[in-house]
Amino acid sequence: MSRWFGVGCPPVAGAAAHADHVLLSSVDGLGADFVCTHVDRTGAVARTALAVRLGGSPAGALTPLAGPPDGGRCVRFPGQDALTGTLTAAEIVAASAIDEVVGVGVPVAPDSAVDTLGFLRPTFAGERLVLLVEPAAGGVLRPVEIADPHECCGGH
Amino acid sequence: MGAGHDHHHHELEPVEGSWRDETDDRPLSVARRRFLAGMGVAAAATAVGAGQATADDRTPRNRWSPGERWYAGDHHIHTKYSPDAQYEVATQVANARKYGLDWLVITDHGGVAHQKFSIDQVTPDIEAARRKYRDTLVYQGLEWNIPGAEHATVFLPPGRHAVDILRAFEAAYDGGILSTPVANGGLGLIQRSTSADGEPYALAALRYLDAQVFAGRTEIALMLANHPARRGIDSPHELRGWRDAAPDVAIGMEGAPGHQAASITAANGGRAGGRGFYEASPSVDSFPGYAPTATENPYRSYGGFDWMTAKLGGVWDSMLAEGRPWTITATSDSHQVFGDTFVPGTQDHNATGSRGAPTDTGVRQVYGDFWPGQYSSTLVGAASRSYVDVMRGLRSGRVVAVHGRLIDGLDLRVRARSDGDTRGVSIGGRTFVRRGTDVEVTIEVTLAGRPNFGGAVPKLAKVDLIAGPVTGPAADRDAMTAPETKVVETFAVPGGARGKVRFTHVFRGVDRAFYLRLRGCDGNRLDSAGNPLMDIMGDDDPWTDLWFYANPVFVDVV
Repeated sequence: MSRWFGVGCPPVAGAAAHADHVLLSSVDGLGADFVCTHVDRTGAVARTALAVRLGGSPAGALTPLAGPPDGGRCVRFPGQDALTGTLTAAEIVAASAIDEVVGVGVPVAPDSAVDTLGFLRPTFAGERLVLLVEPAAGGVLRPVEIADPHECCGGH
Repeated sequence: MGAGHDHHHHELEPVEGSWRDETDDRPLSVARRRFLAGMGVAAAATAVGAGQATADDRTPRNRWSPGERWYAGDHHIHTKYSPDAQYEVATQVANARKYGLDWLVITDHGGVAHQKFSIDQVTPDIEAARRKYRDTLVYQGLEWNIPGAEHATVFLPPGRHAVDILRAFEAAYDGGILSTPVANGGLGLIQRSTSADGEPYALAALRYLDAQVFAGRTEIALMLANHPARRGIDSPHELRGWRDAAPDVAIGMEGAPGHQAASITAANGGRAGGRGFYEASPSVDSFPGYAPTATENPYRSYGGFDWMTAKLGGVWDSMLAEGRPWTITATSDSHQVFGDTFVPGTQDHNATGSRGAPTDTGVRQVYGDFWPGQYSSTLVGAASRSYVDVMRGLRSGRVVAVHGRLIDGLDLRVRARSDGDTRGVSIGGRTFVRRGTDVEVTIEVTLAGRPNFGGAVPKLAKVDLIAGPVTGPAADRDAMTAPETKVVETFAVPGGARGKVRFTHVFRGVDRAFYLRLRGCDGNRLDSAGNPLMDIMGDDDPWTDLWFYANPVFVDVV
């Protein structure tokens, strides 16, 4: 049975795509099917925390979690590799662990087209994995989070 | 107010000329105002600043005058002294003039290299521009990395100590410098420029500027938060904290960010990005309350304006509902201009504080900004075209944020004639009326009479009069809604209207304090309630979605 664990998070900076690459490298070898970031706000300064879902018993000292972190943002999730190009919302849900495609201010029908832009970071709302999308040029939808948002002033 | 409105009238009008007149800059008057304001703080055990009317101060603010003189400007402009920009100061000033601006602020990014190397280079460039263009006000400022938060414009009028103050301020309080390790020339005092351990430094920084004014080292110093919702890191409690730490310094925020060309389609030579470069999503230092939902995404612009301002009953309204001013503006944030053929120079900014002179490739580049004044204007009602008066106008809230020259002028008059007040107050003002009286609002809009820089004469379709009750200081410092703030009347502008259009509205039997404000648009992109729509990345023509927003008038009931 698969279980969730908290793992140490390496220092990350820069655009999401770059930071995510660093995070994934740090959990290489664990065999996690889900890798999620979330924000730990328990200290005076917020920090990025990392959670993974593993099958079987992990080696080493990992912190068991009750489930996916609420608001957890999935850098890796089952079916992710199948989600490229433009797909319908129904195809996304059928092919991956994503439970629901939700539009910002627009309804999403099963046949609504979503341009994945090759970068999807669905988030957990409770136990449900949700992909938030928004209207894009050409009448399609696109993910709210993109890989390379404009960085001003070296990302200060 | 006309350009002839000058200080000599102090002797003629006892009320305005009293120590309570904030335009009276005599040192003793300044000191007395501040002393009494300080007593107000102690007595009320709450943060009430010198810019705030105390309980016994019922002097109307921003009294209405015919023929208001507006000065168009931009408080957010970069040059080759920013690591991500490229132009000479002279180029930015020349373009600001070409596009009709009366004043502008040079705001290169704060940081170790800027503080060490850029200030000494930009200062003579700015002085040269002032000498060359006597009728354009060129302010020296800084784009401050607010510790714990976003960027902000900080600027001062020219003066003997102005550069020293800016230099010391940046050295001690820039988030980039505070978070840079000592080994790399920084202070190494906070984890990240945007992490929460920076928040106390932001408050100390604003108090430092306030103290420079108090000590007479500068006439005035202003701070405006830039692109406040872009990365979700300006929490409501930080905005309130800045305002309350130094209300005469921290006066507001960009209602509309710059980079308004960033969403122009690739087919039209644009970057096809988010309007305003509003493309981010939540990150480690973001305020959790701003997380995108099925109904809205605070990380996007709406009709070109920042979500905090554009959302009816949103963050801006929640601050105004406290009965305190918080002034919104529109700027260019000009780094690299849409369609321009220049690219940055090759100098190492980190080592020299400058990218060097830009070079002309002869080929159109894919950039997301406009020149200062080309698209965005901050109109300020000021007593004269002087450095200090324009800043006082900003501080008084007599400010209108306009895109694409949608309107040429706006005359707002709010008065309770049954109280015997025939004059009333104007944008940014505060008036005091008897309970139960009628408050009359007259709005006169000067419609655009010439093409804007997109090549068309913009057509104003409607004006919304928005109002909400003043409910007092927010118990929750992270409050971000004002549920009672509503559009009370929408005025349609007749299709063939030319010149001036005039609207009136009467608030009958006023029984509680409230504020009102105006917005207007070309009517092209609206939701069913008449509000602006979220801008679509890569599919937005900024010239066909034009808005203006005017700053509020407060009506106190006594």
